[in-house]
Amino acid sequence: MRRHGPRVFRTASKFFRRREQVEEAAQEIFLKAFTQLDAYEARGSFEGWLTRIATNTCLNLLRSAKRRPELTASDLSEDESAWLENNLAGAAAERQQSAERGMVAADLAERVLEKMSPDDRLVLMLMDGEEASVKEVSEATGWSESNVKVKAMRARRRMREAVEKLLSRGAKRGDKDFVNAGGFESSESEGGR
Amino acid sequence: MRDEHIKRMLDEAPLSSLGKAELEGVRAHAEGCADCRSAFEAARGASSMLRARAAEAFEPPPFFQTRVLAQLRERRAAEEGWTLARLWKTAGLLVSSMAATVAALAVFTFVAPQQEVNAQDLGGPYTAESVLLDESDAADGQMTEGQVFTTLYESDEDSAR
Repeated sequence: MRRHGPRVFRTASKFFRRREQVEEAAQEIFLKAFTQLDAYEARGSFEGWLTRIATNTCLNLLRSAKRRPELTASDLSEDESAWLENNLAGAAAERQQSAERGMVAADLAERVLEKMSPDDRLVLMLMDGEEASVKEVSEATGWSESNVKVKAMRARRRMREAVEKLLSRGAKRGDKDFVNAGGFESSESEGGR
Repeated sequence: MRDEHIKRMLDEAPLSSLGKAELEGVRAHAEGCADCRSAFEAARGASSMLRARAAEAFEPPPFFQTRVLAQLRERRAAEEGWTLARLWKTAGLLVSSMAATVAALAVFTFVAPQQEVNAQDLGGPYTAESVLLDESDAADGQMTEGQVFTTLYESDEDSAR
């Protein structure tokens, strides 16, 4: 458990943000792993098997939780609105470096993600957040690779539309810098393929 | 790229996986297409947010292992208790159904025949014994003792005359 704890906690952290939720999920994952240990056939790696249990357990926990209604611009805190503005004004690349900025961005991501389905959340966090490959997501979830691609495409579209909606509402609210501030500088990690 | 919209490209792969040439093409298109520009900005914002969120992770707290193992023991004990309870319940059902069967058999053996006799007593069909011994039923159509004696004496007197 000492060896695999960090990995399980990392997986649970993608699904839940509050520490107690992450711990609860991690505990459930280990309990499931212990009870299903007989089912583990040493064909694949143990890490892969555990990751799969972790992913499915977290997905089920998320599915059983009630989803909140759609996020609107008025739900955002000042910091979150400011982050959106700055990010789109192209100044985010430098400012994002600070831990505080990163936390606001993560807050905002969480608020958008919690309105989405557990499957959408999973593919977005793994593929766009962690840059996992289609194959890795397929192995972690048990979905076919084509299914992962379709899910990822739909999830990205939903996420993009949700952010777009927030931006357009923010712009309507009077933040003129919101959209038309020349926000086309790439962030550092763009352009990596 | 000029005549093609970029939304599909934005949705097909993570923005961070786009090559330089692809990204340049996307930008060039977005400059001239307001709809795609807002889509690109949103995709870029989403990408930054997701990377920031994915960078967050918790470490296992101290005593986490102890807690999990205690929980595991608790669950196993609860499962064993549940199995015992189920066994006990099944055995109880078996015993009670057997007791019910024995009770039913006792009722048929000891109570039912008496009921049959009682039914006869209360007005069942006539038997030879009842007709011979039972005086009450016969009393309705017979003479009283006085009438019998009178009849006997009368017949004696008649014969003496």
